[in-house]
Formats: sequence, C-alpha cells, structure tokens
Amino acid sequence: MQAPVPPSLLRRLAAELAAEARPGLTFMEVCGTHTMAIARAGLRELLPPGLRLVSGPGCPVCVTAMADLDRVIALARMSEITLITFGDLVRVPASRSSLAAERAAGADVRVVYSPHDAVEIAAAEPAREVVFAGVGFETTAPTVAAALMEARQRGLVNFSVLSLHKTMPRPLRALLDLGETPISGFILPGHVSVITGSDCYEFLAREYGVGGVVAGFESHDVLLALLMLVRQREPAIEIEYTRAVRREGNIVAQRLLEHVFEPCAADWRGLGVIAGSGLRLRPEFAGADAAVRFPVEPGPPLEPAGCRCGEVLRGVIDPSDCALFGRRCTPQDPVGACMVSSEGACAARFRYRRLDD
Amino acid sequence: MTDGGRILLGHGSGGRLYRDLVRDVFVRAFANPVLERLDDAAALATHGRIAFTTDAHVVQPLRFAGGDIGRLAVAGTVNDLATAAARPLALAAAFVIEEGFPLDELRAVCASMAATAREVPIPIVTGDTKVVERGACDGLFITTTGVGEIVVQHDVTPAAVRAGDVVILSGSVGDHAVAVIAARGDFNFTAAVESDCAPLWDVVAAAVGAAGVLGLPEAVRFLRDPTRGGLTTVLAELAESAGLGVEVEEEEIPVSPAVRSVCDLLGYDPLTLANEGKMVLVVAAEAADAVLAAVRATEHGRDARRIGVVTAAHPGRVALRTALGTRRVLDMPVGELLPRIC
Amino acid sequence: MCLALPMQILAIDAGVATIAAEGLEQRASLTLVPEARVGDHVLVHAGYAISVLSDDEATETLALLAELAAAAEEEADAGAGPA
Repeated sequence: MQAPVPPSLLRRLAAELAAEARPGLTFMEVCGTHTMAIARAGLRELLPPGLRLVSGPGCPVCVTAMADLDRVIALARMSEITLITFGDLVRVPASRSSLAAERAAGADVRVVYSPHDAVEIAAAEPAREVVFAGVGFETTAPTVAAALMEARQRGLVNFSVLSLHKTMPRPLRALLDLGETPISGFILPGHVSVITGSDCYEFLAREYGVGGVVAGFESHDVLLALLMLVRQREPAIEIEYTRAVRREGNIVAQRLLEHVFEPCAADWRGLGVIAGSGLRLRPEFAGADAAVRFPVEPGPPLEPAGCRCGEVLRGVIDPSDCALFGRRCTPQDPVGACMVSSEGACAARFRYRRLDD
Repeated sequence: MTDGGRILLGHGSGGRLYRDLVRDVFVRAFANPVLERLDDAAALATHGRIAFTTDAHVVQPLRFAGGDIGRLAVAGTVNDLATAAARPLALAAAFVIEEGFPLDELRAVCASMAATAREVPIPIVTGDTKVVERGACDGLFITTTGVGEIVVQHDVTPAAVRAGDVVILSGSVGDHAVAVIAARGDFNFTAAVESDCAPLWDVVAAAVGAAGVLGLPEAVRFLRDPTRGGLTTVLAELAESAGLGVEVEEEEIPVSPAVRSVCDLLGYDPLTLANEGKMVLVVAAEAADAVLAAVRATEHGRDARRIGVVTAAHPGRVALRTALGTRRVLDMPVGELLPRIC
Repeated sequence: MCLALPMQILAIDAGVATIAAEGLEQRASLTLVPEARVGDHVLVHAGYAISVLSDDEATETLALLAELAAAAEEEADAGAGPA
C-alpha cells in the first residue's frame, strides 16, 4: 500500500505552500477527523502566517442538537430498552445527564464499534428492545442502513434505530449563506466523500465561487490539498484523496441510503434547522424506527450558560475566544459538545495545544 | 481434595475446608519456608529503609494473551517496589473468591503467581482468603502487598529530577491494554499482541547498578511504571510534581505495528494505554548512556530507548515533538477508554 | 468523522471478509463494496468496507509529490558544494 511520506518531503510541501500562498487566505475544514489529524500532527505550525485554517461543523457529535441528545437519554432511561451507541456519544452532556451518567444509574447502555454488533446483541437478547443511536454523516449512515437491512432479513423485531444522521453538502451552503467568515476554500471531508463522491460539492464553486479539495487524513494529504487549493486559478472541486474517493462516490452505498432513509429537516447545533440535511427512516421501515416505536418528550432543552459551541462550529470564533475554554470547560469537565467529543474543535485545540498557548 | 470442583462458601469459613484449601492450593503453589509455617504474620529480616506498597487487581477477563490476573498481581506489586528502587523482599496475597469459582482456575492463577514470583525471585510469604456469595465479586479479586529493601541512599522522586536529565522508556507501549481489549472480545478482532506483564526489578537493578559503577549513585532520579493512564500520565504527573518541563520525541517511542493498527481502528492513542511491564527512568545526563546500555542488557529492557529530556522550558508541561518537527502538549487522558468511529 | 483503516482482504465468506492490517485481523461486511475481491485493499469504517482502494501509481497525488520531491533534490544538489 502507500509508503509513509518522509518528514523532509512534508516540510518541502509546507515550504511550497508558504511560497505560493498569498496572504489573507482562510480555508475551512469540515470534518472532525481532519480537525484531529491536523492538530495531532501540529500542522498549523508549518503553515505560512497569512494562511488561516478554521474548523467548521464537521463533528457529528458536536452538531447534534441538545433536544436530540435528550431524546437519546430518555430512551436509555426506559427499562425495556438496551441503548446501543458508538463510544463517541457516551460522555456528551445532554440537558440534564449523559449516557455515562445514565449507565452509572443503572441504565442498560452499551458501546459498540460496529452497528452490526448491535444487531448481534438484538439476536442474542430477544427479550430486550435494542435501540441503536445512529449519529454520523454519510460515511456512517450506510453502515447503519446495512445493519438495519440485516436485522430485517433475520426477522429481528426487537432492533430499531434512532436516526440522528445528517448529510454534508447543505450545511456548507448554510454556512456560506450566513456569510460570517470569508472562506477562500474548503478542505472537503475525505470519508464522507468516499460515499457521496465529489460532484455534490460543485455548487460551491459554481454558485459561491468557493473552491474545495477532497483530502485524505495523512499529513501529506492535508498539505497537498492546501497546495491544490492555493494553486486553483479559478474555484473548482478537486480530489486529492484519489486512492479512496471517486467523483461518483460509492453507488451501492448511495442506493442503500436511498432505500432506507429519506431526507428531512435537521437541527444543527450552531446552525439551526437546515432543510433536507438530515436522514430519517422511510415509512416502510417504521417498525425499525425508534422515533416511531418509542416516542419520547424529554422537555425543553437546556443550553449550558456561556457555551459558544455554535459559534465555534460556524468558524466564527476560535475555541480560545470562548470564555469557558480551558477554564470552566476542559476535556476533564466539558460544558459543551465541542469539548467532549474527541473530534470537537475545542477538544482538539485543547488537547493538542501548542506550547505557547 | 479432589481435582476439579468449585469454591464453596465453606472454603472461606476458617475451618477444615479452609485449611485444606490453603495447604492444597496456595502453599503447594507458593512453596517457601516462611509461608509453610502458616503463621498469621510473616517475620522478615531487613536492614536500611524499606518500601511498602499494595495493589488490588480486578482485571476482566482473568486470562489474556501474555498473562493472567495472577501474573498481573505479582508483577504489579514488584514493579511498584522497583519504582522506589527497592529490592523485592516478600509479598502477601489476599484473595476474594466468588462462590462457584472453579478450583482448576484458582490453581492455574496460583501457578502463574508462583512462576512470576520465581522470576524475580520473591517469596509469597503470607496471605488471606475470603469467599463471597455468587454475584458479590467478579470471579476473583487479588490484593498483593509488597515489602522491599531500598538499595539507594537518595529518594527516587520527582523532587530529585533536574533540567537536562534524560528520559528512558524500557520498551514498547500499549501492548497490555490492547491484549486485554482483544481478550474481552467486545470488538471482534484478533491482534498479534501479548500483554507485556512482567516484573521489572531486573531493569531497575541494572540501572541502579550502572549508576553506582560510574560513581554516580544518585543518577537514577525517578522511576515509574506507566500503568493505567499510560506513558502520558506518568510524564504529565512528573512534569507537574517536579515543576519542570518534559520533551519527548514521538518517533522514539516504540509502538508495535499491531498495537498501532488496533489504535487506528478504534481511535485510541497508544501513549495513553496501560502497560504492565514497562518502566520510565529519568536519569542524570552523565549516566544516561551507561544506564541505557545496562537496561538493554536485561530481559525486560531489551528495547529500551532514550525518548526525551527534562527541561527548564515550559515547566509543568509535557511537549511531544512529532516526526514533522512540530510540537504539541501531551495531557493526561480523561475518563474511560472508549472506541470511536469519528 | 470518520475513522477508517486501510486493510487487506484475506478471505471472503458469504459477503463477510476476513481483513488484515499489520498485526491485526478482523471481519468486515462487504455489503457496501460487493465488487471487492480477495487481495484487494479496502477502507474499513465501523465494521464495513466502504471503498476499494486504488493502486497509487496512477494517481495525480503521487505525481504531485514526485514533482515536489524532484524539486527538493535539485535544491539540495544546488546547495551542495564548497561554501
């Protein structure tokens, strides 16, 4: 497979970037995994001073609305329900609790690595109502769809999904419409684009004059993508991550998504409700839809005082601009989702902070 | 006593069943003159300062690639003594056993403890057994307490550390945690990883010996084994306690390819994962080469590396230099270890 | 979002692949990449393969990298020699 790129070549890439980038550029990455990868490698240190890199709403946990988190908590509290989740959700603070706190109080909350494991749990424990809390973008939603189809094929009536899935292109449009931060170009999500392909981002160049490059997650991928963005003479959508991403994406996965889910409005923390940006189960899957089978009314959501996750997610402020950052809000004691999610901009900034921060 | 069979509540009641269990399982496995007297307390002779430590072991599952709860219990306490530069003298072991626990498994755990103890060597001279009702404990809990003789005159502690001291790591990180996660079977993978669980007195003795030979008996300033919380926690606590900075090179920290693959898969950071057979040594710069060579000549320190330095810069903080030459702060991990998809 | 690991398919049994990365073996569903074959390298996310990875030789990315590597060598050569 691909040999690792030597540090000398990476520094060469960075030097090239510094030579070619005109000052005043702001690029936005919209994938939490990119946020993390950039922070871990300390890539910001290599970027030329005039090139600003901001994080956008790319962390699916961070953008899950408080009201939706409260629904997950409410389901976990139901004694007949085994609430199954990815590890990412366990510590996220909802209005009054978290899944970790509910588990400590006796709720049946289990962590899996794959939605398929949730199906196996449903098969092994027919007396339990297994509800899978589905978060994630287009990378993850097809895996949940596949798990749901498998459960159906196996006749598992005790398996259902609470879909909190969201899709990528629309929030980018919403961000640009808000016009709060001048964005010179996007580093587009690598693995979401494996599924969606890159054509769905063409509107960025055509309608907004903003280019984008689909990037992989190694340091050389990000630096190369930045170089490609800097070199664009006119806004265009390109793929740096050619080894994994095709323009048309993964057709099989797209078809499966269409078969199981339909677009709906979704509430994005920081961005509000965006039409057509969420995925809900189609009516023919009502029997596997936890929202239908277990309707819950958790009460009004409580946003923690002083929390500016919304502005962080829109790239309007830097995490360090939030008064709570590093003081009241730390990975140890998080107030908002941007700090508790391992991919949140605040968590990444805090955990991988520079020495002089 | 018959082979096979299970622990009964009666085994914990102090009468004949209890005596038989102690003789047949514990004394037979740990075989040493002090234990065989079966006094309530063991009398030991020592001179100089002693180190004294205790640890409870509650690992699940009880057995994993490269070890089991028994090996963990002995190695863990020996290593705590080693971090005080104390030659292990004797161990006590207290067992809390769940009613119904298979005797064969108990024998296997004791055999493992005995084998690990012989490696050091250290005798298990006294102990206790309690049996609790089914469901009241997770199979088997072992608490080991250890006593050792400190072989240096100075205090091996963060206060002894100075700017310019060298940080040595005795081998690869993440192996134990990954082996246990694999053994739990929650995430359905197999990995070519074994727990590194091992007693490390040989490593510390070699380090202290090398310093002594150089005429620098106080050169070994600080010792700690990176168990729960991993390497990151040890370094962060050191920096905080010493009021100094620590800088380590990412490329120098050994991580086995299999551990790296599992971490990439589940979203873990190998630097925060538990180890049960590794030691961090902070050594005066003048003695670093000699100590490193001596440690590399031991069985458990073969892959030892110099990974960084103590510095007056950024006191209280640990900096990691990446392969790219960029630097970032290393913080202690927070909360339980959770796999991620994001 | 999203962690995905490149792994190689060692065997396939009824749509489930045995996959390996260095020192690690796992099973993943091929539901989303039914065209995948034994020997292919795939990207695996949450227990499902999501893409068959293409050989790097033919990609623009490597060409760009090679161009930069060549430029780096030229610079190094130019810089060498007596001070």
